[in-house]
Amino acid sequence: MTSGSPAPHHGWSVGIDIGGTFTDVIAIGPRGSVVLKVASTPGNPSDAVAAALTELSTKHGISPRDITRFAHGTTVATNAVIERKGARVGLIATEGFRDILEIGRQMRRQMYDLRLQPETPGWLVPGERRVEVRERIDAHGAVVVPLDQASIDAAIEKLRPLKVEAIAISLLFSFLDPSHEQRIRARVQEVLPCVEVSLSSEVDPAFREYERTVVTTFDAYIKPVVDRYLVNLAKGLAASGVPAPLQVMQSRGGLAGVETARQRPVRLFLSGPAAGAIGSAAVGKVDGYEDLITIDVGGTSSDIALVEGGTVHARPETQIAGYAVRVPMLDVTTLGAGGGSIAWIDAGGGLRVGPHSAGSDPGPACYGRGGRLPTVTDASVVLGYLDTSGLAGGAVSLDPALAHASIEETIARPLGIDVVTAALGIHRITNGRMADGVRLVSVNRGHDPRRFVLLPLGGAGGLHATAVADELSIERILVPRYPGVLAAAGLLTAPISHEVAGAFHAPMASTKLSDVRREVAVLDRRADDLMRQEAVDGLPRHRKAFADIGYVAQSHFIEVPLDDDKDDALSRLYADFETKHTQLNGHKTGAPAKIVNLRVVHSAVLAESRIDRPATQAAEPVRERVRDVRFAGSAAPVETAIHQRSALKSGDRIVGPAIIAQSDSTTLVPPMWSARVLASGALLMERT
Amino acid sequence: MMAIHAKTQSSQSTFDPVTLEVLRHRLDCIAEEMETALLKSSCSPIVKEGLDASASIFTLDGTTLAQACAIPIHLGTLIPAVAEIIRVFPVATMKPGDTYILNDPYCGGTHLPDVAVVMPVLSRAGPVALAATMTHHQDVGGKSAGSVPTDSTEIFQEGIRLPAVQWAREGVFDETLTRILRQNVRIPDIFIGDLNAQVAACKIAGVRLRETADRLGDETLLTAFRLLLDRSEAMTRAALKLLPQGTWRHVDYLDNDGIDLDRRIRVEVAVTLPGDGTISFDLTGTSGQVKGPVNCVPSGSLAAACFAVRAITDPMIPNNGGCFRPISLRLPPASLVDPQAPAPVNARTATIKRITGCMLAALAGAAPDRVPAPSAGQLLVMAFGGRRKGGENFVTGELLAGGSGAGNGFDGVDAIETDATNCMNLPAEAMELEAPIRVNRWTLRAGSGGDGTWRGGLGQVKEYEILDDIEGSLSFSHRGERHFVPAVGAKGGAAGTAARSWIMRRDGSSETIPSKIVTQLSPGDKLVIETAGAGGYGPPSARSDDARRADKANGKLGPNID
Repeated sequence: MTSGSPAPHHGWSVGIDIGGTFTDVIAIGPRGSVVLKVASTPGNPSDAVAAALTELSTKHGISPRDITRFAHGTTVATNAVIERKGARVGLIATEGFRDILEIGRQMRRQMYDLRLQPETPGWLVPGERRVEVRERIDAHGAVVVPLDQASIDAAIEKLRPLKVEAIAISLLFSFLDPSHEQRIRARVQEVLPCVEVSLSSEVDPAFREYERTVVTTFDAYIKPVVDRYLVNLAKGLAASGVPAPLQVMQSRGGLAGVETARQRPVRLFLSGPAAGAIGSAAVGKVDGYEDLITIDVGGTSSDIALVEGGTVHARPETQIAGYAVRVPMLDVTTLGAGGGSIAWIDAGGGLRVGPHSAGSDPGPACYGRGGRLPTVTDASVVLGYLDTSGLAGGAVSLDPALAHASIEETIARPLGIDVVTAALGIHRITNGRMADGVRLVSVNRGHDPRRFVLLPLGGAGGLHATAVADELSIERILVPRYPGVLAAAGLLTAPISHEVAGAFHAPMASTKLSDVRREVAVLDRRADDLMRQEAVDGLPRHRKAFADIGYVAQSHFIEVPLDDDKDDALSRLYADFETKHTQLNGHKTGAPAKIVNLRVVHSAVLAESRIDRPATQAAEPVRERVRDVRFAGSAAPVETAIHQRSALKSGDRIVGPAIIAQSDSTTLVPPMWSARVLASGALLMERT
Repeated sequence: MMAIHAKTQSSQSTFDPVTLEVLRHRLDCIAEEMETALLKSSCSPIVKEGLDASASIFTLDGTTLAQACAIPIHLGTLIPAVAEIIRVFPVATMKPGDTYILNDPYCGGTHLPDVAVVMPVLSRAGPVALAATMTHHQDVGGKSAGSVPTDSTEIFQEGIRLPAVQWAREGVFDETLTRILRQNVRIPDIFIGDLNAQVAACKIAGVRLRETADRLGDETLLTAFRLLLDRSEAMTRAALKLLPQGTWRHVDYLDNDGIDLDRRIRVEVAVTLPGDGTISFDLTGTSGQVKGPVNCVPSGSLAAACFAVRAITDPMIPNNGGCFRPISLRLPPASLVDPQAPAPVNARTATIKRITGCMLAALAGAAPDRVPAPSAGQLLVMAFGGRRKGGENFVTGELLAGGSGAGNGFDGVDAIETDATNCMNLPAEAMELEAPIRVNRWTLRAGSGGDGTWRGGLGQVKEYEILDDIEGSLSFSHRGERHFVPAVGAKGGAAGTAARSWIMRRDGSSETIPSKIVTQLSPGDKLVIETAGAGGYGPPSARSDDARRADKANGKLGPNID
């Protein structure tokens, strides 16, 4: 597991992942690992980082000076969009195409809503700030209308009085010839030197003008916000004496330094789920499990990811605040069922759970913050699964009376059943939905879920894992040592990595390998430029190439690894494409295929930090030893042993019924299941 | 067989509500899994790219238990097909592996490219449910490739007609039938391949439902089915009872049938809410059946009604056949909406969109605050095909929408798909990479949204130019709507602007397209499309100054002058 480069013997590696409710922190150093959660501070997210550093220093004796690695997962990019707090953006388009951003693809997501919402983020740049320049490049990359200098100046003059802070430039076929976009940028920088500029040929050089324009506009929109945040945070860290450079997680699962991250802000969207999936893959690998289905049970939703051969695959597009955005992202599927999902009774007298969630404010009834509606977490409290002295190491205390009352009033009494039966029912419905979600995620990607190990994470993953496994006939469950802060841990296992892609657009039949290699070399140079800006000298380096391939008539494509150094690379590429097409879609056709994009990913592997050994000061005081717990199948209470995770030793075997408690999460071991502590500190659960 | 319609409200309280809810999700998940298998393993481009397929689980008496569909036009679309199949082949006689197919619109189908495949699901004791799928096949024969001839005048020109027939007995396929099928379509391997994908999807339902039946027992399962349907029916009735009693009407028109270009086609809907939780749609007053292929068999009106009821009631109501029980339809015989064989029907989509729009507009009488003004309700379908100078053939198509209607408290959305369809347009870059056609401009159609307190959504403008790289000329078909009759406003709002399309020939002459045309385009010819705007809502005098200023600044009112 430890790599060839020197492990940070002397210093601490710190991963801080900011979530909606909690900011998760893990520190790994000479004395083992420390995990903690602090409350997130959405108004100014770096306050939570400062609070975490203070707590590490005061409670755990980890001085900022001893932090030699600092990796960070941030929601600042996503939040800027959700809260609409990005820059005032102007958009420059090809003459005749200024409305592309607003027209979009005309498809609607809410098929049955009478009140339709715009499906495109036209609000990023209202019509007033969308201007055109006279130019045109055709589908072969030929200039059919030369770039007209006067029209550039006219466009800039239209934007000047509108006080734009950033400009997105997205011209037709710029991925074939970026020179027009570059010349416009040069002119903008002369005339409006304080305005940030994003070019579609740099942000996302791929075909389909709407998708490229959207991602370029988002890039411009969040750039000043991301810039401000990262620069201030880096300054703050330096001021408090942290010698480590700031590294941030990107949505495809690699870290970037501040300087490179600022150049490509759109790649910081949704870095949290990516870090969770990376952390899960790394944890599984330690114990030799490389085929995993991970389920991260959070407050409002659950994130499901598939790890195959130790790798989480990427997908080309993601959803940001409800808009499809073409940013490569690790393939994590979100299901609207989590601890905060509200249980209710519909007009037909049926018991329902979700899709509405109590979120973190007011949160479940048992939080005592004014929430009256019963949630899955309230059911967990009623069933005795959670230690009522507190979640997240005591950051939130739970009131069982409130949980009980909310389920009684809203569910049990109207249905004429007792509170425990109602709570068991809420759990069963939730577990069924999670199992259905896992089933669709695995089956849709051509996998049989029974072949996988289930890896629960998040504070509540361990409460639902055995039920989901039972439903899907999954044999084994691997519970990481720190399931509640796995995203933070993932930050410390991710490589520094940069991805660069370019459109290629050629039928495979007429493509020469030399042409592919020439294009890949261009991409390699750009990736190298980015890597050179990171402090990665002396670290082991990896480089992978990929091609997006589809059958000629298809509009969809599949990312396939490209062994461009082999002489038969193209025939292998086609064969691999057909294999993958069969796996994903159930068939192959043998029809001609085309290359759509080429892509390289360069990465540098950092010394990995093992998260096996808690630091000496166990922050998990022994509380109760037994508790009455209700398990599925019977409403009768079962006297159940409560084990503290920190007290368990490698080789210990716990036979259910049992509950394994720790500061960041709880694991339920029902009757018929047992848990064994592995040398890594993870729990392996199997049926007895 | 048990009587599914028997009311057993008392058992609701004794039946475990948790098992019921878990089973409901399970059924939805199975339908979802069937649909995914169908979409992924089909070869037909309209399925792969247009998602034109659906999967359902039915009770033994032909009531929908769960349905997965990616476009609303498929809602309830299998109901008449399943009804016909179980009429001809009683479920009690069904054996594992039996497979039935049907596509004839006059026997419960929709239009000929949509083929239904139905298989029984059997537990150890016998049949418990039916699995059904419907796929739009690439070609089912007939006078033109693709089996949707815009100029057909009788159904025999549209492809092979299959009444309810048994294709497999206990898993053994009828080779005679297979040979007949293969002989009647243009690409037999793809046709049979896609039918096999439908069979595979039905088998998934068999495996998954059997697991559930084994776990719960047949008796419990069948009781649960009945309760789920009753529950959705009760919820739908409760939601419908919240609406005022009365009858409301709406009349709208289709441009023409593609044959008689000057004859508008009337669609009239009267919706009645008697106050007892039922709803009826009476289409009396609708045009008689027409020569061209826009006739629409009853399954189309049923899909439209299911859409309208789902939209007007609570979206949280679990969707199944229980929701459809309170609906009744009255369709005048030998009309556009209940044509008699052999009237052609392949272009029924435009008709379903118009019926859906009329139903919603009539429902606006009952819920004026919730139902927006009429949308453009058009989906322009264009096809371009020809040969490049190098000898290579090209075929490409385009689907363009207009705007959506404004409502109480909100402007309409510009250039968006509405009602029964949900298709994507073609990026300019995709078209130019595929065909020797250049897109010269593509913008919102300023000023096309109906004025009002809330403004209707805008249409779009797209101009294409035919490039030199073609041999001779290319063939072009244009199937438009809303060229002659605009989307009206509501509550004093103004109508949207009607659609317009014209060809500017290289020699400077101009030809207006009368909504539907099949013609040739040559290098240098330009085609200009302006799709329709939607209706406004409320009197224009009450529109806020801020909204007007923003519209002006953002170029929504007229050409962007400078």
